[in-house]
Amino acid sequence: MFKLSVSALAVALICVGVAFGPSSPNEALPAGSMQEKAGAACLSCHEARIIVQQRLSKAAWTREVDKMAKWGAEVDPQDHDALIDYFSANFGPDQPLCAAPTTGRDSASKSRSKAKH
Amino acid sequence: MTSRRAFLRTASAVALVAGVAQPFRAWAADLSAISVPGKDGMIVRSYRFLDLETPVEFMTEWITPVNHFFVRNHMFAPGKVDANTWKLTIGGEVEKPVTLTLADLQKVPIHAVTNTMECAGNGRSMQSPKVPGIQWGKGAVGNAKFSGPSLKVLLEKAGVKDTGKHVMFRGLDEVPGKVPPFVRSIPIEKAIDADTLVATHMNGAPLTSHHGFPARVVAPGWAGAASCKWLTEITVLDKPAEGNFMTPGYRLPNTPVKPGEAVKPEDTHSVTGLTVKSLIAGPSDGAKLRSSKQEIKGVAWAGEADIAKVEISTDGGTSWNAAELGKDHARYAWRLWTYSWKPAKSGDYIILSRATDSQGRVQPEAAIWNPSGYLYNAYDQVKVYVQA
Repeated sequence: MFKLSVSALAVALICVGVAFGPSSPNEALPAGSMQEKAGAACLSCHEARIIVQQRLSKAAWTREVDKMAKWGAEVDPQDHDALIDYFSANFGPDQPLCAAPTTGRDSASKSRSKAKH
Repeated sequence: MTSRRAFLRTASAVALVAGVAQPFRAWAADLSAISVPGKDGMIVRSYRFLDLETPVEFMTEWITPVNHFFVRNHMFAPGKVDANTWKLTIGGEVEKPVTLTLADLQKVPIHAVTNTMECAGNGRSMQSPKVPGIQWGKGAVGNAKFSGPSLKVLLEKAGVKDTGKHVMFRGLDEVPGKVPPFVRSIPIEKAIDADTLVATHMNGAPLTSHHGFPARVVAPGWAGAASCKWLTEITVLDKPAEGNFMTPGYRLPNTPVKPGEAVKPEDTHSVTGLTVKSLIAGPSDGAKLRSSKQEIKGVAWAGEADIAKVEISTDGGTSWNAAELGKDHARYAWRLWTYSWKPAKSGDYIILSRATDSQGRVQPEAAIWNPSGYLYNAYDQVKVYVQA
């Protein structure tokens, strides 16, 4: 039990890093020359976590960017290729998978829950 | 400042996620717990719009509590829906279009169906090569008792014409930008099955907003995409609905394709019923166990078919033994299962589960790859270490 807690703590420290403090439920996009433009194009309709969890080839990222442009994402033709490069570099098939957060215990549902966790 | 308790909660949440054996990326992700009222300890695949996954370790009860039931939203959930002004219209290929209020629905006989609902994309993250979409782990599935009028009874009020072949649903979810609305249809045969519901209740309580208040479709045994939430419009059509979520969305290749290969739309068909599948709820992946007697447990379901058996291997698939099925059962509902295991010696073990259904379908060792990662159902597996 003690061992489990220590390893959980270690994993948490690696993952959470400096992110203690007030938490935003929305994920951020990684730094890069296209960070701002990707944010402007994508994040009005969905949060970054949807992007961050993908692990796609450049061909697949091209299909996604083109689909989203058709669906209203504002992508300047000049930025099109750089955006695909940004996504491919950060979220390509060889990048390590990312962990997801969980919802906290909901006080209203606490009494109804029987699950052990 | 994050309190110690909040930190420990985060740590345990992270440990739970780490159980799926995921390495971590270089930059810091904020994995602080996110508050979602009505949802407890769920894995957040997306917050805006909301997609929540049930940790597989929660799947030890036949009925999934609402606070542990997965959430799959394609769009933004509607703001608070007023039950007093909410309306459901039925039109299209019908004799007499009708508009129903919630009070009207409450006058119709109630039918209850215990249904295992699974997102078509459940398990997508385990597809190789990777495919785009919400990267669900194992838990976009749950079993709940849904109740409300049979859709058939409501369709009879409008009178379906002979030309009516498909039934299309539209919900109140809010569509951003030029995104196509989440509109799909099901064949008339499934729509008039007495077990297909316009459900108003889940586990005996009115639907919560996360699950489609005040009314949703429940097409039992079918992938969750058939079960439109926040239902407000039913349209009978003379052919399948069009639009992104019918084509190219929710389609499977007619014949297996090479992993990674593109598929022409004309060589695909719509996802309908769920396939045969089992999951191991315990022990957790990566668990350290004592060499005493262990209980391996989990769930198994097969869409419109019944589970015939669940088998467990504790030697990586060389030998298999039958698990005991739980006593709770209903058509469309999963079965709990347990298997008693006494490890012969200490060391690493791979535990596998595979289900077989009443149609003779067997959960395969490897899932059939498809471009959107639908209906992943390979053997489930956990790795454990047994200490002396």
